[in-house]
Formats: sequence, C-alpha cells, structure tokens
Amino acid sequence: MLKFDHVSFGYGKEKIINDISFQMDKGEFAAVIGENGAGKTTLAKLCNGLLKPDKGSVTVNGLDTRTARTSKIARSVGFLFQNPDRQICQKTIREEILFGLEFTVENAAERETRCEAVLEEFGFDGSHDPFSKSRGERQRIALASLLACEPEVLILDEPTTGLDWRECMQIMALVQKRSEAGATVLMVCHDMELVQDFAKRVLVVSEGRLLGDGPMETIMTDQPLLEKASVSSAQIPALAMRLGGAFGGIFTPEDMALAIERRCAG
Amino acid sequence: MNGFLDYVPGTSALHRLNPLTKLVLSLVLCVCCFLSGNHFYVLGVIALNLLLALSAGIIRRALRILSALLKFSILLFVVQVLFIRDGAALFVLPFHIAVTDKGVLFSLLFVMRLLAATMPLAMMLSVMQMSELSGVLVEKLRIPYKYAFGLTTAIRFIPIFMAEASDIMMAQTARGVEFDTRNFFKKIKLLLPLCVPLLISSVKRVDRGAISAELRGFNCRKRGYSYHQYKMKWIDLGAGLLCAAAVCLAVIV
Amino acid sequence: MICIKDLYFQYKDSDRFALSDISLQIEEGEFVGIIGSSGSGKTTLTHVLNGVVPHYYGGDFYGSAVIGGLDTVTAAPTQLAQMTGSVFQDIDGQMVASVVEDELLFGLENFGLPRAEIEKRIEDALETVGIRELRYRSIFSLSGGQKQKVAIAAIVALRPRLLILDEPTGELDPKSSRMIFDMLLKLNREYGMTVVIVEQKIMLLCEYVKRLLVMDRGSVLFDGEVHEVLRNADELRRVGVNVPRVTTLADILRGRGLYRGPQPASVDEAERMVREVLPHA
Repeated sequence: MLKFDHVSFGYGKEKIINDISFQMDKGEFAAVIGENGAGKTTLAKLCNGLLKPDKGSVTVNGLDTRTARTSKIARSVGFLFQNPDRQICQKTIREEILFGLEFTVENAAERETRCEAVLEEFGFDGSHDPFSKSRGERQRIALASLLACEPEVLILDEPTTGLDWRECMQIMALVQKRSEAGATVLMVCHDMELVQDFAKRVLVVSEGRLLGDGPMETIMTDQPLLEKASVSSAQIPALAMRLGGAFGGIFTPEDMALAIERRCAG
Repeated sequence: MNGFLDYVPGTSALHRLNPLTKLVLSLVLCVCCFLSGNHFYVLGVIALNLLLALSAGIIRRALRILSALLKFSILLFVVQVLFIRDGAALFVLPFHIAVTDKGVLFSLLFVMRLLAATMPLAMMLSVMQMSELSGVLVEKLRIPYKYAFGLTTAIRFIPIFMAEASDIMMAQTARGVEFDTRNFFKKIKLLLPLCVPLLISSVKRVDRGAISAELRGFNCRKRGYSYHQYKMKWIDLGAGLLCAAAVCLAVIV
Repeated sequence: MICIKDLYFQYKDSDRFALSDISLQIEEGEFVGIIGSSGSGKTTLTHVLNGVVPHYYGGDFYGSAVIGGLDTVTAAPTQLAQMTGSVFQDIDGQMVASVVEDELLFGLENFGLPRAEIEKRIEDALETVGIRELRYRSIFSLSGGQKQKVAIAAIVALRPRLLILDEPTGELDPKSSRMIFDMLLKLNREYGMTVVIVEQKIMLLCEYVKRLLVMDRGSVLFDGEVHEVLRNADELRRVGVNVPRVTTLADILRGRGLYRGPQPASVDEAERMVREVLPHA
C-alpha cells in the first residue's frame, strides 16, 4: 500500500531523510514519533509526492511518486495538515466538502451523495461558514472534506495540535473508524498516549533515520530506543518499566490496578 | 527562507556602510540609469552592481535576481520592438510589422535600465537589516516611527506571506487541486479561491502582531528615541564619492 | 497581584457571555495554570489580565479586575503594559523584528529606557532565558522552541511583575515544551515573577504549577492545588479536560481501598504511590 525504498531527501547538502525503508500493508495503523526537526513532517510529505525523494523511491497505492502527479495521487491518498486553515477555502461547509470532491470524483450526483453522507456522519450543518467555527471544528471540517473522497491511504501530520481533549478524541474516533474499514493510516504524533491508544505499529525517527520500527507494545517499552530518539513513553508503560519484572506488558490503568491488587492479595 | 529580500549577514564594506549611505547609493545608481542615455554607461552600472554584490558575498543572489528579471525583460523587449515604428526598417515581419533600428536601440536601453535600476534596490535590502532601515528613516530622514515601523513590517511580512502561500498551495495540491499542472492559465484560475485562506490567515496574524506590539508599549514611543545611533564613517565618504562619480559620468556621457 | 470580583464579559458581536461570574485572587509570586476546553473562556481571561479586554476587544464589562493596584478598565493600556508581559501561541505573529536583538530592543525603546540600562536589560534577559548565543541571529533561522524563548526574553527584558502566557507551547514538541516550562519555573522561583499560563497539556501543567484553574463555559469550575483538583476526574472529563493516566490508576486503587495518599500526576509520583501500596515490590 505504501512503500519507502531506501529513500533520502534533503535541501542542498543537508539530509533531512536518510536512507529510510519500510512498507505498510492495507489496513495498518502506524504512528511516526520523534522530536521536532527529526524529519517526521518531511517523511509525511514524501508519502503523497508533495516532496519527491532525491534517492530511492516511494510507492503509494501502486503509484510511484516520482512520476505520478500529486494531484492525481490525491484521489486515493488523503493528507490532513496540522493547520486546517490552509485547507479550508470555501464559504460554507457543504461547498468546502464539494470542492475537495470535485477533483477526485467525476460523477456530480455521486459527489452530492457523498457530501450529504459525510455531513450527516459528522453532524454538520452544511450551510454554516467554516471560518466562524473553532479551531477543533475547523480541523473536523478539513477531515470531513478528506474522508468524503474515501481515500485508501490517510496521512495525518500532527492532526491534534492545538485541540482540546474532547476535540482530539472526536478526530481520532473518526480516523479509527476508517482504519477499521480498511484504510491505511500513517500518523505523525507527539502525544504518546494517543499513539498508545490508536497505533498498532510505531516508526521512530531521529535525525532523518528510521531508528526503530515495530509493534506499538515493543516500541513503547524499549527504553534505550526511546531515549536515543529523545522521546518518552506513555505514562502507564513508563511506570511499568520503572516497576520492572512482574509489571511487563501492562498498558492501561485498569490492568495496572489489577496487577497491583493481585500482588497485594498474594 | 531563500527569498530575494531577506538580510544576508556579513561584514563586508557594503554591510558596514551607514544605512543612509546604503539607501542613497542604491537610489543614486537607479537614478543614474535614467540620467544617461548611453547603452555602455547603463551596461557599466549593471557591471558595477555585480561587482558590489561580489564584494558583499551576495553574488549568487544577484545573479538569481538578474536571471529572474532577464526573463521578464526579454518579453518586454519583444513587445517594445514590435510596437516602435520610428527609424529605418531592419527587416519586415508578416502583417507589415517592421522592426526598426531605433526600435531595437530604444528597447534595449529600456530593458537594460530596468535591470540596472531594479538590482540596487533588491541588493540594498540584502545587506541592510530592517531595523537599520527604520532606524535611519526615523533618525536621519525624520519620518515618524509609526510609518517606518509599518514599512519595515510590510517588508518583513513578504517572506512570511510567501511561505504561507506555498504551504496553502501544498495543502490544496494534497487534496487534488491541480497546481502541478503545466497549464499556466489553469493554474491562475485555481489560485483565485486560495486568496481566501491566505487573506484570513494574514489578517489574523497582523491583528495579533498589532496587539503584541501595543502590549509592549508601541504607543509610548518617544519620537526618534532609539538605542542604535548611526554615525557616518570614512567608508561612507568613499561611497559618497562613488555616487558623485556615477552622477557626473551619467551627465557627461 | 490579581484581584477579580464578580466579573462578567461579553464580546461586542456575541450573544453570550465569554466570562461569567468570575471572582479570583492571585498573590504575588504564584505560578498558576489555567486549563479548559476550547471556548471555555481561557484566552478571554488572559485578555482581562493584560487589558486587551476591554481596551482592544470591546464589549460589555461588568464587575472589576484590579492588577497590581490598577483597575484594568480605568487604567491606561500603557500603564498595564508596563506591569504585565504577554506571550502568545502564535509564535511568528507576535514577533516585530527580524533579528533577536531588535526583538528585545522593541519594548525597551518604546518605554524610553536610558541606553546604559537597555544594554544591561538585554544582557540579563538573554542570560535568564539562556539564549545568549542567539543575540545577533535572524529570527527566521530559529526553531519554534528558540523563537518562543526569544518572545519570552523580549518580555522578560521589560521586567514585568506579571507574566501571562496563552498556550506558549501549542506549536512545540514535548522536549521544547519542557524547556519553556523549566525556564518559567526559574523566572518564578529566582526572580519572583508571578506567572499565569494557559495550557492544554495537562501532564505538563501538573508537573510544574502549584495551583490549577479549570474553566468551563466562561466560569471557574475548580480552583485549587493541582493534586486536589485532580481528585475530580469524572467532573473534569465531563467538561472536556483529560486527567493523567496515573491519576486514573490512583482513582481505581482508591476505589478498591488500596490507597489513601495524595493524588499522583507524574510517573515519579505514581512510582512512589505503587511502592507505598506494595512495599515489597
């Protein structure tokens, strides 16, 4: 579905992405973690051809990003930016969603149906002005406009920045629903709690290199790897690592409480 | 940031000039191109521009500006040549359009002047910090601080604005808008709706910037009070002589 | 330092109160965090503190807000500006200069400080914030975290008694966010600056601030010591504020009668809690 084959990228001599290879299958949900400046956003932009690799190749949905136009790749690959205001450009929410569909769906009737379906799913009033909404709402409008196109691959670049917890959960629930329906999701994210809850797989990026790539449970409990990439684990796995031995493999407060209770009793 | 206008740090003679001298030098070079009608003189000014750029370590940027202007100039040149009917015909194109000797000479001078006069202004901004510009405008030219601040803020916003525009284009390309089309007119048509997000984000930014400035006492400012003072040095006298020479030469030839 | 009484505020073109029934007292030298869902009035409250409301954003203002002895409604905005310093989330939007030194100079020159004093203030502010080496750098070339430090240095140079920050780490990663908080803690402890900070990242807040205000629909829902406020997890979630996972763990243990101590917020505190429950682990 998405394949990086020895990809390098840089402006001038400076290498921002250095020889990264990985492959994602249909329906996978992966998170990209790493500190600012590690190359996460660049990695995301390489996925749909917004940036073209200097060396190596990126294939997404069977299209080679070096030769396919980004606007064509966009038909099957959705990209959600950190800042929804760069995406939204129409006067009403309905027009905004239709604007996105115009470039991806040929049939006008089909566009209308999809638009209505998405408005319904998100609970939007299509006649409202997107610019009068809060930041979290605008992010949901941007997401709605993407999901209406039914992308097979979703790239999310820090989608929850600047949102409060509730808005953040709304966005994630919508993304997870698509993931369960078979969409491939790659999400750049700082919030380790979100990574823990939603990602099945984690890619660790540091100084343009792929330091680690594995199941969420393995990466979250690999202290040396996380330290090397200057990130810290989510709270409960971090606590489990501190406590050591018997608490290995615990990720939720409920399981942790159960384990503590058992040891108290025994 | 790789704009044409942002400051390039350096310690060359050009960098060390008094900001006022920088301003005067670039304006004098501009004016001289129009004082003189001599092709070789204007060519000389272009060469002088490049030499100054070389001495200040901004030759690559100067050449980039030159090449960008050159494309535009060629277009202008062709249009001009086709429309000037004076003088002896060199050759005649279909539809009785004659290319005349006067037309060629005049058009050539016109575009050379354009090149020679635009470069010093762009280069001046490369070796002068915004604070120097506003400082000298207020201190030496007695322009009210508010206007000087407005001017420098506007110039400072250009690269930010351009970065924002390119981010918006990227975001729109990612949702299927065909900015990567080779069709120029199609691209222009697609660009229009994008003015909305750009305008909104800029207005918001300006509004926040204004509040931030107000909260830091923008209104308390006393006229002409600034930490830096810009004194004239010997090097400025040198630049002054260069200006005088350029003007004299322009008048003579 | 801050004394707000029965404050109600409604923006000009709005049909509801952005702030309602707020009474609040903050002493000199406190470090206070404000959290709440979007639209709960956090930003408006910071605007009351620095006088942006009602001087720049007008509307109906009832009640009183006194900052350092000045009534914000009757005092001139410039008087307030000398007492308070404000840092915003939009990093690029709040900058006025292209070079770090000029960014610091801006406020100092505006307030007309003598030249000798200006030099000293710049030196001190850069030193305090820990960005001495950035003095002559172009602001464009800096990272987000560095830029935000410059913004704070520019405020610190003015030596305000009250520092107001509205989501200053909104655009930063966890590591740079922590750097900013470390610095704020230093300003608070060593220089006695009163700090009021709006922040969405609850775990970070809990680690640094002593007192936490939770806002909901324009009012203050909770106001108290951080660990005490965290005892109300259900109520907090209801108003759209998440609690740290270790707090949830503590609540479960408490519910089963295994733990009675203070509410943990960080992994360190949670470790202490577990070791208390399981002395032999």
